[in-house]
Amino acid sequence: MPSNPVPVPTKWRRALPQAHFALLFALCFILGIGLVLLPPGQKIDQDFSRLLVRISRTVIGIWGGAAAVEGAILRAPGGFAVEMRDGCNGINVMVLLWAAILAFPASWKLKAYGLAAGTLAIQLLNVARFISLFYIGQYSAAWFEFAHGYLWETLLILDTMVIFWLWVGRVSRSGALRHAGN
Amino acid sequence: MPAISLSPPARFLLRGSVLLAALLTLWWLVLINPLQSLLQAAAATGGAWLFSGSSELTITDAANGDWAFEVPIEPVVPPTPPGAAPQQIYSIGFDLARADAGGFTFGLPVFWALMLAAPELRRNWRSLITGTFVMALLEVVLLLLTVKILAYKSLAQVLHSHDPVGGWFLRCGEYLAVNAIPYLLPFAVAIVLHRELREQMFQWAAPIAASAPPARNGNRVAGRGSQRRIAVKRN
Repeated sequence: MPSNPVPVPTKWRRALPQAHFALLFALCFILGIGLVLLPPGQKIDQDFSRLLVRISRTVIGIWGGAAAVEGAILRAPGGFAVEMRDGCNGINVMVLLWAAILAFPASWKLKAYGLAAGTLAIQLLNVARFISLFYIGQYSAAWFEFAHGYLWETLLILDTMVIFWLWVGRVSRSGALRHAGN
Repeated sequence: MPAISLSPPARFLLRGSVLLAALLTLWWLVLINPLQSLLQAAAATGGAWLFSGSSELTITDAANGDWAFEVPIEPVVPPTPPGAAPQQIYSIGFDLARADAGGFTFGLPVFWALMLAAPELRRNWRSLITGTFVMALLEVVLLLLTVKILAYKSLAQVLHSHDPVGGWFLRCGEYLAVNAIPYLLPFAVAIVLHRELREQMFQWAAPIAASAPPARNGNRVAGRGSQRRIAVKRN
């Protein structure tokens, strides 16, 4: 039986949805960072940091450790203190994930699921990161700088990438993946 | 004992985390100083193209190890008080903490870790080499861009500028150039250059495979990559 020829997408046509995603993602990310840096965004950012520091103190207490909270500062009994500020609360990584999810062609229901579950996963990891930095800082200032500035930052982005990957897998399995060429 | 089968994202996460920790430690202990010296030399050379004026961009090491920049920028400072003669500025100097300068070299080990953690390394060694050069180039461009933003920020302070919109743009630019892009760059370059990783992650390849040109046996086969085993029989 003769079959209708399946249209063969050109190289550029195949790249179109990817370019569309990349542009939309970059736009959402820059817009998100811009909103965070506005005065109302900064207020939310600081309040969120204080909340995360209190949660970290509670977790440390549950595991038998001791720490005191002063605003967004977590202080050890020995005198070492670490302040959560300038993106230490994971808000920039959250903006990254949100931008990727919002830019990806999927239903709003799945996007809402991805935003909620992804944010929760990032923040669970971020609290673990903050607590680990609290203890690394008491051990060595140099390794604190390494872990804080480089290792944990990149691990958080790697985790965000994998969270997004898992979410795309779920979108794909649900059959809700929309292709620009279809 | 049954072998543990991991999904591609889990495998990438596990391998990526281990490789990131290992390669970043290597960078921190061994590579950071040579890479920073190379970056400084490349930025001084590249700065001659980006910055024009009667003076040249200079980067020197301050006594505490920070990088001292002298950036050619030539605005006319309005007279204060009014009636006095306007002043011509020829350059602006500021320091960049050595730790912040290091932020423009750590993208290389991160990129290597991602490429090594991604599937099909044998087919992507060229991307690994190409990406290393692309990363090195982009890091220099990013440093020069940051220097330009910081120069304009310093200038705004000298001019006592209270422009909220301009200030917000400078702040946003500085945040992106220092705190966001250096971290995201190796991930973006890895995704762009590593086809299998991109296809697995975004799963855009499935409909492409189904619409690929037919092979001699009547099946439709996709091109290279993880989808090349997909074949759709057309009656």
